[in-house]
Amino acid sequence: MGVLVALYAILIFPGLAFLSTFGLVAEYVDRKLYARFQNRMGPPWFQPFADFVKLLGKETIIPAEANATVFKVLPAVAMAAVVTAMFYIPVWDNRSLLGFEGDLIVVIYLLTIPTLTFFLAGWASTSLYAAMGAVRSLTQLFAYEVPLYMALLAPALLARTWSLQTMARWYTEHPAWMLANLLGFLVAIVALQGKLEKVPFDIPEAETEIVGGTFTEYSGRLLAVFRMAIDMEMVVGAALLAAVFLPFGLGLHPVLVFVLFLAKVLFLVALAALLRALFARLRIEQMVDFCWRILMPAALLQLLLTVVLSGVAP
Amino acid sequence: MSVLSRVMTWARVKSPWIIHFNTGACNACDIEIVAALTPRFDLERFGILLKGTPRHADVMVCSGSVSRQIEDRLRRIYEQMPEPKFVVAVGACACSGGVFQGCYNVRSGIDKVIPVSAYVPGCPPRPEAIIDGVVKLLGTLQAPPKPPIRTVGIAPQP
Ligand code: SF4
Repeated sequence: MGVLVALYAILIFPGLAFLSTFGLVAEYVDRKLYARFQNRMGPPWFQPFADFVKLLGKETIIPAEANATVFKVLPAVAMAAVVTAMFYIPVWDNRSLLGFEGDLIVVIYLLTIPTLTFFLAGWASTSLYAAMGAVRSLTQLFAYEVPLYMALLAPALLARTWSLQTMARWYTEHPAWMLANLLGFLVAIVALQGKLEKVPFDIPEAETEIVGGTFTEYSGRLLAVFRMAIDMEMVVGAALLAAVFLPFGLGLHPVLVFVLFLAKVLFLVALAALLRALFARLRIEQMVDFCWRILMPAALLQLLLTVVLSGVAP
Repeated sequence: MSVLSRVMTWARVKSPWIIHFNTGACNACDIEIVAALTPRFDLERFGILLKGTPRHADVMVCSGSVSRQIEDRLRRIYEQMPEPKFVVAVGACACSGGVFQGCYNVRSGIDKVIPVSAYVPGCPPRPEAIIDGVVKLLGTLQAPPKPPIRTVGIAPQP
């Protein structure tokens, strides 16, 4: 890959520019649908953009006791990890930009990095509320991460590959086998809410208890970058689920596949908004309990099903 | 105004995040503020979101007549908000001390402690009045710079 092509990929498509635009669109869809579910008008279409610009123009405060370097670098690390993960996910056909055998695991690890930066951000802020949010986000990480990975494992096992593009190719040839992963899909959607720290699993940012959670001390530009990273994570997380659990229509014309990709991601975002409107926030121990007692057995069941089915799979 | 500052002003007007602070109100004003934040009144239409931490907020919505105990906290929370920031005084108490005016234990009005950009009178004001106050405050941001509705400087430090 030439330097120019690489720069284009990193900065424009499917890198920063595309992801940030799509992230803002996804945030808008999420908030608007949430508002419509509550029978109200909701924000205008430019709302996420206005929030972002406004935050860029605000004063940035760094607490005197905080480690200023860590405090400033963390939002960028979160964003970089999310953008990197995007390079391994097929967007316009069943090939990704940098795909290789085993990239599913790399994507999973890259998507864990934002959560770790949330933890470090809370810790580095040296504020009591932020520290509490940080500890909660780590506790939550141990609860949803295992079911999520087990659920993502199942389709990979069925296709006998660790590569997202090989998987996409396999499912394009055998589209009906997609249905074998439905249970895992449900588990993954619920666990993704935990990863994105959205209702019902927005315990680390519980505004009513610990003011702003991990982001309590963040303001201005740094908060803007963090929010953008979270929006991007929502898109990339949804794109990963779409690539793994909804790999249909990948053999079409690239433009059609791209439109289908957008539709799939927005569908998952809409599902998330529905979950947000339906449920209230759980307590942290209820969340851990739910993940280990209900999600985990469901994921195991899916794995068992997959192991049995892979005996007859082509 | 250059294009950049015009875009910035536009964004500020379209996305005011508020923090709600009770400085010793009888709670009726707070109930009206909370009512204004419910889906029925749909403040998100104007981009208004309630934030828990002063670091994220642009507008502080204050109620109550500032009891002497809370005066320092009010000042501290105001100072924790990043610039540019605005204060809306909600209720007769917050505007002038209301029924508590002149009591030995209150400072009689938010503007005796921190600068206030908009006043919403009423005891308590209806949610519509509060929304109107905040939206009018945002309107003044859009206009070319001129003195705010009424501002009284910071009280001398004790
Ligand atoms: S203005 Fe009236 S309702 Fe509001 S805090 Fe004062 S006494 Fe209570």
